[in-house]
Amino acid sequence: MYRFILNMSLQLLTISQAANLLGVSIQTLRRWDDSGGFPSTNRETAKHRHYIKSDIENYIKSRISSLSLLKIARNWVANSKGTEPLPDFYCPDISVFQARLTRLENELGNVKRLSRIFPLISAITGEIGNNSFDHNLGNWPDILGIFFAYDLAKGKIVLADRGQGILATLQKVKPELANHRDALRTAFTEIISGRAPEYRGNGLKFVKDVVIANEMSLFFSTGDAKLTIQKNGSSIDVQGSADDLHGCLALITF
Amino acid sequence: MTIFLKKFGTTLNGRQFGRESFAAFGPSLRDVKDDEKIIVDFEGVVTFTPSWGDEFLGPLSHRFGERLVLKNTENPSVQATLKLLGSIYGTNFLSIF
Repeated sequence: MYRFILNMSLQLLTISQAANLLGVSIQTLRRWDDSGGFPSTNRETAKHRHYIKSDIENYIKSRISSLSLLKIARNWVANSKGTEPLPDFYCPDISVFQARLTRLENELGNVKRLSRIFPLISAITGEIGNNSFDHNLGNWPDILGIFFAYDLAKGKIVLADRGQGILATLQKVKPELANHRDALRTAFTEIISGRAPEYRGNGLKFVKDVVIANEMSLFFSTGDAKLTIQKNGSSIDVQGSADDLHGCLALITF
Repeated sequence: MTIFLKKFGTTLNGRQFGRESFAAFGPSLRDVKDDEKIIVDFEGVVTFTPSWGDEFLGPLSHRFGERLVLKNTENPSVQATLKLLGSIYGTNFLSIF
């Protein structure tokens, strides 16, 4: 009876439920508990470890405020070992992404300063996310799906995937591509399909055209290459990067 | 015949969704007469992307050519997508308002 009341008032979670929410393993949570870094709520008296749901949510929020969304996503893509992102950021399949994109579209529509361009922001977000799913369906190296998060107060949208990356995708139809920089430039400038013989692969060209024509910018990175596109940008400036990402990372700023 | 895109949703993104949309609507095209125009009405659409558009407008453009007419295309994502698809297809979509 006592435990039932406690569960009702504090919303206790099992260690498995807490681990899922945090995006870490049960073993990691046990280590955090044993070290006192993130203690369970009733370790002294109960046989099994439990966590107060609001503690978990507050921890996630504190991580978001202390780390930028870009940094969280970058860490996820750069890590040699793949783990699922925090549930709030994770779209394991395109139907989840589509639902969250519709929510983004609604929230963008309520931002007065974006009243003219919000459909374009939503559209390029959709194309980048859709691109990840289209080019990796059935071929995800470790973690299925994408990281997708946004902070409209700061005017930022972040997408990332741990897919094959642009070089491996485009080499299937353009074997002469030798490095990530050439692949990134090709993806944003040439009408070419990574799903040959299908006549496709125009999403990133669309993204580039929209960014150049409007008050927004794009940072995009894959492998050890990165580029930034801004309004009125006349050329695609692809540079080397100190990172070696396992898939793709994108930041839309507006 | 008029196709009201808002009946498929306001966020028209993704090849898979575009393919499913066209496949679902396909049977309605069986009775189109030889001289009948196909009007695609964008009223109510908020987000329109090349991936969805290519899967839906591509087959319509291929089959009906100049009989395909677009309506209420003012939305900027519709405009940007039609510009890209038009350049790829080598055609200028006919729009009416």
